[in-house]
Amino acid sequence: MDKKLLSLFQLCDSNFPSGGFSHSFGMETYIQQKRVTNSETFSQWLSMYLQHQLVTADGLAIKLAYNAFKNNDTHKIWHLDHLLTIQNLSFEGREGTRFMGRSLIKIAKTLYNSSLLFEYDKRVKNKESFAHPAIVFALIGQHLKLSKDITIQFYMYSTIINLVQNAVRAIPIGQTAGQQIINAFQSKIQKSIATINALNESDFGTIAPGIEMAQMQHENLTVRIFMS
Amino acid sequence: MYKKQWTGFLCLDIEKRTDKSVPKDVFYYNALKVQRPIYHNPLRPCYYILNLGGGYLNGDTYRLEISVRKNAELTLTSLGATLIYKTPTTPAYQETEILLEENSYLEYLPDPIIGYENARFRQRDTIYMKKGATLLYSDILTPGWSAQGQSFMYKLLHLTTKIFMEDKLVVFDNIKLEPEKQEMAALGYMENYTHLGTFIVISEKSTKEFINLLQTKIDKQSGDFKTGISSLTVPGFAVRIMANMTQDIQRIISTCHTLLNEKWYANTTNSLRKY
Repeated sequence: MDKKLLSLFQLCDSNFPSGGFSHSFGMETYIQQKRVTNSETFSQWLSMYLQHQLVTADGLAIKLAYNAFKNNDTHKIWHLDHLLTIQNLSFEGREGTRFMGRSLIKIAKTLYNSSLLFEYDKRVKNKESFAHPAIVFALIGQHLKLSKDITIQFYMYSTIINLVQNAVRAIPIGQTAGQQIINAFQSKIQKSIATINALNESDFGTIAPGIEMAQMQHENLTVRIFMS
Repeated sequence: MYKKQWTGFLCLDIEKRTDKSVPKDVFYYNALKVQRPIYHNPLRPCYYILNLGGGYLNGDTYRLEISVRKNAELTLTSLGATLIYKTPTTPAYQETEILLEENSYLEYLPDPIIGYENARFRQRDTIYMKKGATLLYSDILTPGWSAQGQSFMYKLLHLTTKIFMEDKLVVFDNIKLEPEKQEMAALGYMENYTHLGTFIVISEKSTKEFINLLQTKIDKQSGDFKTGISSLTVPGFAVRIMANMTQDIQRIISTCHTLLNEKWYANTTNSLRKY
């Protein structure tokens, strides 16, 4: 693997302290409602999450960020951070990505010498930006001169393995079953790239009602192991 | 923009004179009109929007411009559902631009949008709010039943809502339902429901305690529906409702509305006839 790829790969490691360990993004609601109970039902949830959160919001945002890099439009990057956060009507969902975004920035700035990343860090500290993992990936992908498609795939892959690890613990499902799901999602991630490339800005942030509902309802779960 | 001939156009400008909110300007042409306002609340006009064509057809375009000036109040609703019929070549389109000046109040509670067989509809709502303004905003999306009794025969219902507070985007909601492209009953999508409702409230009076109280009230409602409530990044909240009947969604919205009138305005009357 080339050095740059390896460098981005570090961000995707499930041991990388991104904070993703504490966020289920509504999956826990489905677990408590006994509707996500095994690898099959979890895969259904994950598919929907991929299609309607990672594709139409996060993935599309990375694509738009890459366009902005091309045009030297830094303002647009910060707008995307804002849009990614407020398009989520669930408070906990927003807090989750903000938390992960901040954790990622904190470590990433010690690893990558990217001036935009430093600027992002400053904006977040000054409460001018929220912080979102997809924007961090876009900034680092760009810094490493990796393509938009590669960056989106790595971002999606890191999110998927994170959510699978959470499902393994919470449902629970076996480690082997978890790895099988990650394996099965690799082709879905690749297909998603074509979908994202065909999307327009008017498709940004289109919701999956059930996914969003579960994120909102998570606020009312009495016993919970995840923060979202 | 103004040179374009819309299928229906409505401009409504409300200002406050002494105590009472009154029309400053009302202008409409073609398929849209409003009736004379009714004062359910003696100080706040309630306008009912009428579609003279009876429904939205292929290529129809509508534009609404609503302004509520400083300290003025307005209730805006419709006289019947927005019916979207088949659009073989061009989706029907509606755009609404709303301006809410300082300390103004708008409740915009239109009847449901019903998508019939092969209907495609795009709606773009943009709301500009100034400090101290209050907004109650709802939409309800429902499928029209086909001759065969099937649901989800429409092709596209795409609603994009943007709310700006002091020029900063604070709500971005994008609902795009395309039954041909997405299995509607799938886990995480519409699951076992057909109707989707949204109620967004932005008000400086909104607190975490109020949202919690609202949650308890909604939990007490019976019926086959699901609701989620969450706070926004500015004082206010969004309620999403999935149901199989418009009445269930309207009942939840009404519950929110009643509680808000009671807690924020010490007012127990309900301003709309439709609940």
